Amino acid sequence: MLVQKILTRNPKAELYYDLVELFTGIALVGFLWTHMVFVATILLGSDLFNTLSKSLDDYYLSYVGIPIIVLIFLMHILSAGRRLPTRYQEQKIIWRHAKMLKGTDTWVWVFQTITGAAIFALASIHMFVVLTGWPITATTSAGRIEAFWWFYLVLLLLGEYHAGFGIYRQFVKWGWFPRKPLGYVSKVITVIILTLGLAALWVFLQLGGA
Amino acid sequence: MSTRKFSIFRYNPNTPEVKPFMQEYTIEEPPGMTIFVALNKIREELDPTLMFDFVCRAAICGSCAMVINGKPRLACKTLTGDLKGTVTLMPLPVFKLIGDLSVDTGTWFRHLSVKTKSWIHSSKEFDPNAIEDRMDNETALEIYEAERCIECGCCIAGCVTANIREDFLGAAGINRVARFMVDPRDERSKKEYFEVIGSDEGAFGCMGLMACDDNCPMQLPLQMQLSFVRRKMVSFGLSAK
Ligand code: SF4
Ligand code: SF4
Ligand code: FES
Repeated sequence: MLVQKILTRNPKAELYYDLVELFTGIALVGFLWTHMVFVATILLGSDLFNTLSKSLDDYYLSYVGIPIIVLIFLMHILSAGRRLPTRYQEQKIIWRHAKMLKGTDTWVWVFQTITGAAIFALASIHMFVVLTGWPITATTSAGRIEAFWWFYLVLLLLGEYHAGFGIYRQFVKWGWFPRKPLGYVSKVITVIILTLGLAALWVFLQLGGA
Repeated sequence: MSTRKFSIFRYNPNTPEVKPFMQEYTIEEPPGMTIFVALNKIREELDPTLMFDFVCRAAICGSCAMVINGKPRLACKTLTGDLKGTVTLMPLPVFKLIGDLSVDTGTWFRHLSVKTKSWIHSSKEFDPNAIEDRMDNETALEIYEAERCIECGCCIAGCVTANIREDFLGAAGINRVARFMVDPRDERSKKEYFEVIGSDEGAFGCMGLMACDDNCPMQLPLQMQLSFVRRKMVSFGLSAK
């Protein structure tokens, strides 16, 4: 082995990276889904929505939760993003490869990297906008959604897609379920969450229009 | 009789001035023709310079693997009748190209065996006269399942990671290690196993895209083998000092 490699060798680094990717991923999916459920409380009326938002605020959950999520978000990007091909030739190989092997999970991965990068950008904007417009209320949210509904639609779709397939891939990788029925299961989950998210979005739009 | 068109990758590393190109051939297609039969027909009737490999023509030796209409498959196990339109044949990526459809999988798998130390590590003196130790049937079957690998290289050629990273051992390599991990005669410690496969050349290099699982002509349970080794590596890595 080469000297520079011997001196920097950490045999467990890959193991830790893999675990961080797994746990931050699960945490983010958990967050996303809780987030969507909270958002969807608007379906039961803006009063409930406002009360929820206020109580999260009152008990400082928002102030603890948001920084933690940001941290997990960044850790996930670093650990999952370590595999991104940075060299042009590698990117070309992957592209050719995905095209060659039609109908395989390679495409899932290609889309996973693209949606991941896009979510990074859009979610950062979303967080910035929400935090500068603190606190969250039904009226301000409705205003935001009305003005930028396309932005939220895109972010929602990307998020659900990335999370749904991310979970699927982790299950497959760790062998918690055999592949074929699981693909089906995770698709069903994705559809449910998507419906929930879209419904919430629609309600916000109605509210904004009123 | 119906005819079938083939579009075949041509390149000879000994004449690098001729750039790689696709050559077309049309032959008659009798019912039940395999790609292997078709290639022999082309070589006999149309072009004696065409290079490709085969030995057993019965999905045993693993030498006839190639990319058939975009999928790594065994030429001797693939019927032209199951394919639509022109049949496109490319050599397997990752392996060293000998010429046209012929690649050198041997060197690659030899390296795999050396790297994963594919032999039973035992401190026991071998006594040829003694009765063998008993092994329970379940374990024997598990070992046998992994041993069914014919080293065709389909799982390697289809693997994105193996296409980018030369040192990645791929599903065949990880499957090989799994075979020794379940073998009670192998005395390797957790730490030794972790060193062999607990890195990104092994279990953690795999991104879980399962092209290997889709493409193995022997239908080895590669997803389960990969995840078995991955879970083992986590527990070995976290427990071994
Ligand atoms: S699951 Fe792992 S070994 Fe199999 S093709 Fe994907 S990256 Fe390669
Ligand atoms: S695991 Fe399957 S695809 Fe891979 S080399 Fe062995 S037989 Fe071929
Ligand atoms: S010729 Fe032996 S596997 Fe095809």
